[in-house]
Amino acid sequence: MSDSILNPNVTRRRFLQATGAAGALGAAGLGLDLGGGLSTLTKAHAQPAGAAGGETVITKSFCHQCPARCGIDVYTTNGRVHAIYGTLDNPLTQGKLCPKGHYGVYLLYDPDRFKSPMKRTNPKKGRDEDPKFVPISWDEALGIVAGRLNALREKNESHRFAIITGRGWGASDVGILGDFGKLYGTPNFNLGHSSICSDASETVKHIMDGHHAYSAYDYPNTNYLLVFGAGFLESFRPFTGNMVAWGQMRTKSPKTRVTVVDVHVNTTGTAADRLLLIKPGTDGALALAMGHVILTEGLWDRAFAGDFTDPALKFEAGKEIDPNTFNEKWVSGLAEWWNVVLKDCTPEWAEKITTIDAADIRTVAMDFGSTKPAVALFERGASAHTNGVYNGMAIHALNALTGNMFAKGGLRGYQMKTAWAKPDVKAEEFMDDYAKAPERKKPRLDGAKTEKWPLAKNMIQEIAINQLKGDPYKMDTILFYMTGPIFSAPDCKKWEEALRQVYVIDTSAYPGETSVFADLILPDHHYLERLQVADTYPFQGYPISMIRTPAVKPLYDTKVFGDTIIEIGKRIKGPTGEYYKRLGNTENLIRMLCKGFEEKPGDNGVKDFESFKAKGVWYRKPYAFLQKDGEFYEWDGKGYDKHLTPEEVKQKVMPTATGKFEVKVTELEHYAEYVAKRLGIAPERAPFPQWIEPRHPGGGDLHFVSPKLAGQAEGRSANLPHVSAIIQPTQGGKRNVFLEIHPETAKKRGIGDGDRVRIKNDVGQIEAIARHFNGIRPDTVALPMIHGHWAQGRWAKGRSPTASTNEVTANVSEPISGLAVFHSGKVFVEKI
Amino acid sequence: MAKWGMVIDLEKCTGCQACTIACGMENSRLPGEHWQDVIFFNEGQYPSVQMKWFPRPCQHCENPSCVAVCPVRATYKTEEGFVLVDWERCIGCKYCMIACPYGVRFYTEEKPSYGGPDVKQVFKSNDAHSWNPPWKMPDSREDWNHGVGVQPHDVVSKCTFCYHRVSKAPKGTADLDPGNPAQREFTPACVVTCSPGARFFGDLSNPRSRVSKLIADKEGVRLLDQLGNKPQVYYLTGSGGAVPSSHANVKA
Amino acid sequence: MFPISEPKHFAEIIPYLANLWREEGTMRFIGTVLNLGHGRSAAGLWWKLCLATGLASGGYALYMLVTLGHASFNTSSDGVNWGMPIATYVFFALTSSGLSMIASIPMVFGFEQFNPIAKRCIWLAIITLIAGFAVLALELGHPFRMLWAMPTGLQVRSPMFWMGVFYSIDLVLLLIKFYLLWQQDWDSPFSHFIGAASFVAVILASGMLGLVFGSVVMRPMWFGSFTSIYYMLTAALCGAAAIVVTTYMAYHFDRDRMPEPLRSMAGSHELPMVFATLIGIALVMILTRFWTGLWSNLDGFEGFHQLARDPLFHLEVWVGLALPFVMMISPSMQRREGAQLTAAFLVLAAMFYNRYEFIISGQFVPMFKGSWVNSLVPYTPSLTEWSLTVFGFSIALGLYALGEKLFHLSATPSGEPAVEQTAEAAA
Repeated sequence: MSDSILNPNVTRRRFLQATGAAGALGAAGLGLDLGGGLSTLTKAHAQPAGAAGGETVITKSFCHQCPARCGIDVYTTNGRVHAIYGTLDNPLTQGKLCPKGHYGVYLLYDPDRFKSPMKRTNPKKGRDEDPKFVPISWDEALGIVAGRLNALREKNESHRFAIITGRGWGASDVGILGDFGKLYGTPNFNLGHSSICSDASETVKHIMDGHHAYSAYDYPNTNYLLVFGAGFLESFRPFTGNMVAWGQMRTKSPKTRVTVVDVHVNTTGTAADRLLLIKPGTDGALALAMGHVILTEGLWDRAFAGDFTDPALKFEAGKEIDPNTFNEKWVSGLAEWWNVVLKDCTPEWAEKITTIDAADIRTVAMDFGSTKPAVALFERGASAHTNGVYNGMAIHALNALTGNMFAKGGLRGYQMKTAWAKPDVKAEEFMDDYAKAPERKKPRLDGAKTEKWPLAKNMIQEIAINQLKGDPYKMDTILFYMTGPIFSAPDCKKWEEALRQVYVIDTSAYPGETSVFADLILPDHHYLERLQVADTYPFQGYPISMIRTPAVKPLYDTKVFGDTIIEIGKRIKGPTGEYYKRLGNTENLIRMLCKGFEEKPGDNGVKDFESFKAKGVWYRKPYAFLQKDGEFYEWDGKGYDKHLTPEEVKQKVMPTATGKFEVKVTELEHYAEYVAKRLGIAPERAPFPQWIEPRHPGGGDLHFVSPKLAGQAEGRSANLPHVSAIIQPTQGGKRNVFLEIHPETAKKRGIGDGDRVRIKNDVGQIEAIARHFNGIRPDTVALPMIHGHWAQGRWAKGRSPTASTNEVTANVSEPISGLAVFHSGKVFVEKI
Repeated sequence: MAKWGMVIDLEKCTGCQACTIACGMENSRLPGEHWQDVIFFNEGQYPSVQMKWFPRPCQHCENPSCVAVCPVRATYKTEEGFVLVDWERCIGCKYCMIACPYGVRFYTEEKPSYGGPDVKQVFKSNDAHSWNPPWKMPDSREDWNHGVGVQPHDVVSKCTFCYHRVSKAPKGTADLDPGNPAQREFTPACVVTCSPGARFFGDLSNPRSRVSKLIADKEGVRLLDQLGNKPQVYYLTGSGGAVPSSHANVKA
Repeated sequence: MFPISEPKHFAEIIPYLANLWREEGTMRFIGTVLNLGHGRSAAGLWWKLCLATGLASGGYALYMLVTLGHASFNTSSDGVNWGMPIATYVFFALTSSGLSMIASIPMVFGFEQFNPIAKRCIWLAIITLIAGFAVLALELGHPFRMLWAMPTGLQVRSPMFWMGVFYSIDLVLLLIKFYLLWQQDWDSPFSHFIGAASFVAVILASGMLGLVFGSVVMRPMWFGSFTSIYYMLTAALCGAAAIVVTTYMAYHFDRDRMPEPLRSMAGSHELPMVFATLIGIALVMILTRFWTGLWSNLDGFEGFHQLARDPLFHLEVWVGLALPFVMMISPSMQRREGAQLTAAFLVLAAMFYNRYEFIISGQFVPMFKGSWVNSLVPYTPSLTEWSLTVFGFSIALGLYALGEKLFHLSATPSGEPAVEQTAEAAA
């Protein structure tokens, strides 16, 4: 990596003058100090010379503690990073950060970091086996990988190499894996983790409005926010953006009213105006009842959804309507949906399913229907169930019924693309005959997009089972990048068996459960040491991209992941190696990509690589489309003045089969047989949002949910004492993370407040400390996820819980999206 | 002379603890030494359960009981309203911790509450500092007479209102707004990072400052006002926010 | 037999010791000095025992403090800030004050029948104060810094500052008074003046110690003028119990070995009645405080409820105070040696626990800890804190034995007691 990128781009002389010991009552001047405490008797007692000191340099980067990718200012003095704050002119952060954003300083200096490449010398693998790693050079390490890869190619088995990825972003990072797979010849070049993340919400958007993506919501302009099972103020991303928006929503005029649907009292539910404590997995029934009320009360948006031909006609509970009397506008299949499903979904019906008072359902539905603009959003609380996609469809449909799709203050849209240039080096030109051979077209290891999981994008949770079964084949080598399914996938212990059978390469910069089973460690840079670009998480819809510039030189002998792949590529025999030699390194690639900014400079003046590094962010406002009063418009540079025809809407805004928002989903009509088989519903009902009873795997008597805490970073915070000191404040966690259990539920099982308990079911068992909490449903227990790490370092062990919640989570997936059903399981809880 | 004060809008506060973490980072605090803690309470029966929280920095009282009890004048109040500890004078008697009604003072030498080895032993100091974290604030900012920096052994530490930042603000500043690039670096860390913008910092002696107006318009209240310490931190309780009525989750 | 007798002037000690060293040789000299003389004696035994426990406990505490520092305490900013070492300090400081008060009965108020215990009281007051200060110094973060920071700070608003001032004055006056008694100056105007001044100082000192706790309105279990008065009056009780125990101790727990004035004083009913009165006052104060606390709903008073569930607290009140009270007012028991001794021991143990529970329970409700502290704060002293307490007792008892050996603690204005009957004679 060239030194040029280490040039400080923004420097400020910060507070250089020593305070001159203006000492208010400075006793130091007395020179009478007779020594310190007993423990300091042997030490020189002198305050370090406070004068001079180096300049503080601010480098631009972006955060890595969650998917949001907030722009950050990294403060470095004398080569040490000591502070991280949000970047003021980054539209996503606006100078702010969530608690996790600050963890970067501690992670950088985590004393347990891997310090160089290493190889395993203990052939035995197991949780308690010390891998006995020995340090090796990068050259040797890369040579080992290339040797294995070349050998596989020679045996015509290149598909037996897989790269399993998680939190990798951008064209210089996981973005280069597509070409790698093409050139080297493996379908398993980027087996993503999205199916253990939140694929159901993307799938719902995909099948209903044509965008397989997360949504951009216009919070600052919304007047009603209806949140289903998304910890809006704890875990829903972008967390910082949500909180900035929260400050705006709750103090603007009129104040945004918020209703939250969840299974326990959390900060989101408390901060809201209303919290509905719902039975786990029944959010869909609640949303259907709300849709029912919106229609029967005549609160639907006629300009967007359509209207009866005769004003005297109306939706009446239990009564079908004549589809010919209803003119649908942008909502396709509304009349059929009413007749097949919605007419019977009264609040009284939903009360029996959800346990929420019919009166409350009616009130919330009428509030939501009569307040404009409004947003209904959902996440895993509603969707990580066997009926998750149908729950999500029912919720998402509320946005359409009320005309809030693509509207100001509503679900504003989806993510637009950044003006990246195409690299000068084209992979296609370097594909050899081997790579082009038809036999390279093999099914993926995870089974996604095969007939097993036809609609799923990824199926990471299937990999371990498939490997153990040898279905479709056994793997030779697996490289892990920014994901640890051995801890984070459902029924994660299966992975321990699976990883015994393959050569495991871990690229994490830190020890972890994966590295315990790894044969080779190719340690990555910490993110503050990296040069990297990435596009943001959907925020306001307009494109935002950020760059990381190294705040410090790498502390150890590590290599950024993109360069590791390029270096491996250079060592692959044939034209592949040539391609990577031409590509050079990630910096080279990033410089090529940034050429696109010359033509389309950012609103903040970013027009090339250098200005990008200086500002840290490129963005171009606004979002291109707007729906207003049932008409769609496109931004023409001055305003939303270009009216769109239905054909243009279908092409640009709602690319579904009908070009409309589908409540009769075409995609599910195509897959009706599959859906019928997997979910047990009549094929003709398959296309409609509807109530399906969730299945609760595991076998137990209490629902088990694993929410995410506000202070919980993804993956790496278990080894940070600063984090365990603040974790789970609502229950007084501090050092341990507690199982929330209702006092009555606990007493029936003889569990006292603070008792150690065993959580068990068919899948396995873990231990935790129970905390009596009146704010959780008596039929449910909650144990926050991502705790219980057992190999992440010196501070990451010996606390409650004893292991991952995934050791009691069955490996069951929602059949349409493939999302693992993390919140569907049931468990027994008993006192130890 | 400014009289610095803080206003915390509990209606906007989301209880995320970014203030706690940012404070710890900016001020090189030990884990668990939360100069700026966020404290949660809950009460009531299912399904009508209240959860309350409030961020608790040092209140920088007008009439600080900690200053009065300190037998060696290590704790003092400056003319600008900061309540600070002189680490060169503190004898570690902890009387100020006893006498502070808000529980915002911390003794350096304690068993780690976070589990695992003591960070002070892992990041050992070779000099008079109690530990030596690699991420500590630059030496040039350290100022023991004002309780800023990595503290020596056996002293009491507390929130300084980010004295090392605020004291550099130009004279006559009415408010420190982290959204203003010219003022951002002078603003306390917790105010800078607060995402919902629940925190405001400014001159209470200036009736035209934003903090003064907020206190007047939104009926700012002070914690435990009956004790007479007269905090310079005001809470806006609005709807949805409340200061707790009791000290602890006492089930006795 | 080499007698160690009370030298009249400090200067005598040096040639005396030099002589001894010449006569005995280095090793035997060290042995003799550590033994406090050649002969076996009760005091000598106490001395050696205390030397051993003092070295062991002090050594352990110092080792922990040098290696781990005060992190070896179980105190925390979130919970109990002041732990058992502070309770130990308060116990010793107040016992010292009480002993000064008892000494004032004959020396200031002229009840001469109490003369035989006056000198012992003064000595004990000195050494308990030293023991208290030693424990406090090891509890403080920077004890040496205090020596310059307190006088230069002059924080006149701090009760702790005044506590320091008055206990320092108290210690100086005690030393002067002991010196005067040593010189057999019981009746000079100067001696009377010192006696009176000492009494005033000790009232102020114990009052100020009470004020350290009584002034903090944010700790409602401590707050109020009650605490100062409570400290003063219960100090007297501790002093009385301490002098009863130590006087008997000096005579092998055998009243018959006492010299006459002392024996008749011990056998009289004035002593038990004074003792009973002091116990009664303490009981009334403890119970009224407890009852008020239990009745009131004030946030922070939950510690009283916790006390009500604490078996040790009930032991303190019923066995440690009520029972001795009954014993001391009972005409059939009050003069009995066994009863007096039992009562005194029980009272001392009860008052030690009283200081402990007073200080700890006042901090049971932490300042705004909400969910972080799920209930009242837990606190159990660590081994280091225990060793500091043991160290304190070793100092007090060891120095007492030393005094018993070196000084005629039973001296009265009439001169040497009739019989040289301290432990040696018995041995």
